[in-house]
Amino acid sequence: MLIDQNMKMADVVLHDPTLVPIINRFGVHLGMGDLNISEICKKHNLHLQFFTTILNAFHDKLYFPKEQLQSFPARLFVDYLQKAHRYFLEEKIPEIAGLIKETIQESSVNQKSYAIIERFFVHYRDEFRTHIQREEVKVFPYVLKLEKALEEDKITPEIEQLFHEYPITEYQAEHENVEEKIFDLKNIIVRHLPTPNNDRLWYQILREIFTLEKELNEHSRIEDLILIPKVKAMENELKLKMAK
Amino acid sequence: MGDLRTVVIIEKNLLIQAGLESILSELPRLVIIGFYTGDEPNLNVLLTKQDPDIMFLNPQCLDVPAANFLNQLKGKINPLIFGLLDDNAPESLKSPFADRLMFSDNKQQIQNKIQERCNLNNDPHDKAQVLSSREITILKHVVLGLTNQEIADKLFLSVHTVMTHRKNINKKLGIKTVSGLMVYALMNQLVSMEDLGDKI
Ligand SMILES: [Fe+2]
Ligand SMILES: [Fe+2]
Repeated sequence: MLIDQNMKMADVVLHDPTLVPIINRFGVHLGMGDLNISEICKKHNLHLQFFTTILNAFHDKLYFPKEQLQSFPARLFVDYLQKAHRYFLEEKIPEIAGLIKETIQESSVNQKSYAIIERFFVHYRDEFRTHIQREEVKVFPYVLKLEKALEEDKITPEIEQLFHEYPITEYQAEHENVEEKIFDLKNIIVRHLPTPNNDRLWYQILREIFTLEKELNEHSRIEDLILIPKVKAMENELKLKMAK
Repeated sequence: MGDLRTVVIIEKNLLIQAGLESILSELPRLVIIGFYTGDEPNLNVLLTKQDPDIMFLNPQCLDVPAANFLNQLKGKINPLIFGLLDDNAPESLKSPFADRLMFSDNKQQIQNKIQERCNLNNDPHDKAQVLSSREITILKHVVLGLTNQEIADKLFLSVHTVMTHRKNINKKLGIKTVSGLMVYALMNQLVSMEDLGDKI
């Protein structure tokens, strides 16, 4: 289903509830009444095209209009990705960590083995935090400054220096695949877990991990397929201006 | 990923993309992990990260010759590659592909070609998913932090053989990262917490 601006926000969410965390990032919450998407955007001061495109891309993995997505200003993406980071770090990952802890406490068997899984996840969280930190401290500020410099047609020595020190190709090369360990974790739980006595809790963990994986896939897809190419194009523009 | 095969599709035409997806969905054990249109500037990097088992590629949507594109991937990943080919395309476009799906192929022909080349009809049980003793030895060395070269020296193997073993271990267990392998090794008491020290 293609989501368009005249659809009621509530109908969209009833059709695909996995969109709830996405709309939350834009400041839209449940209890949304009968407003349609364009009214919601007006109310929350959102970029209508950007909002619907992001919803569609998350809703349907085949829908990914690269040209259209790349035409949006980079600052919209940076803002969206940053909010997603907060959601991953402050909500989703602690939630799963808490579930794992609770599950182990309620296990009367194999506690030692399960504790290893917990350790793996904590390790993953730390790595993920480092990954995000690099994006927020190094990449995003550079992207924002670059966009501003081009828009105002003011090529400062600072932006030239940033470009030489950390061009986007560098980020591209070191941008790790954060889904890899999630993939492993799924396999460990489904295939290799010593048989638990509390299936329901493990199932809950598994479901949360699948949701996290889907959200991470979508997140990386925007970083790899939209943000990086977009910044490359901006860098080319910068190079032209610097040559003059 | 155990007995599943991961698939990426590189095709600009969305109808063909969706059509191929629907045809693949009727075959067992295939999981699509990526759709691309071929004009992604960092496509080879992304593919290397994803490391798919099977790749469907329409050379017409690349801005470089398919042979050059495939060369960039050589040595890094080694998927089974099917060309998605227009019957009228010049031979130069078709030639890099040993396996070809033609636009004029019907559904049955396409499914047969894929099934034959990917051995999808194999009984999964005739392929043991448990690790051999050689693989267990290598797994232990890997989680203890030895490099491929060090393992090769220790066991009098070539680095290439060690890498092949590691690939098989990853496939059998469905675990790709070293930390994931540590969890497996610890849970199965192949190594102890003390052996790993602060690695985990
Ligand atoms: Fe990110
Ligand atoms: Fe990232």
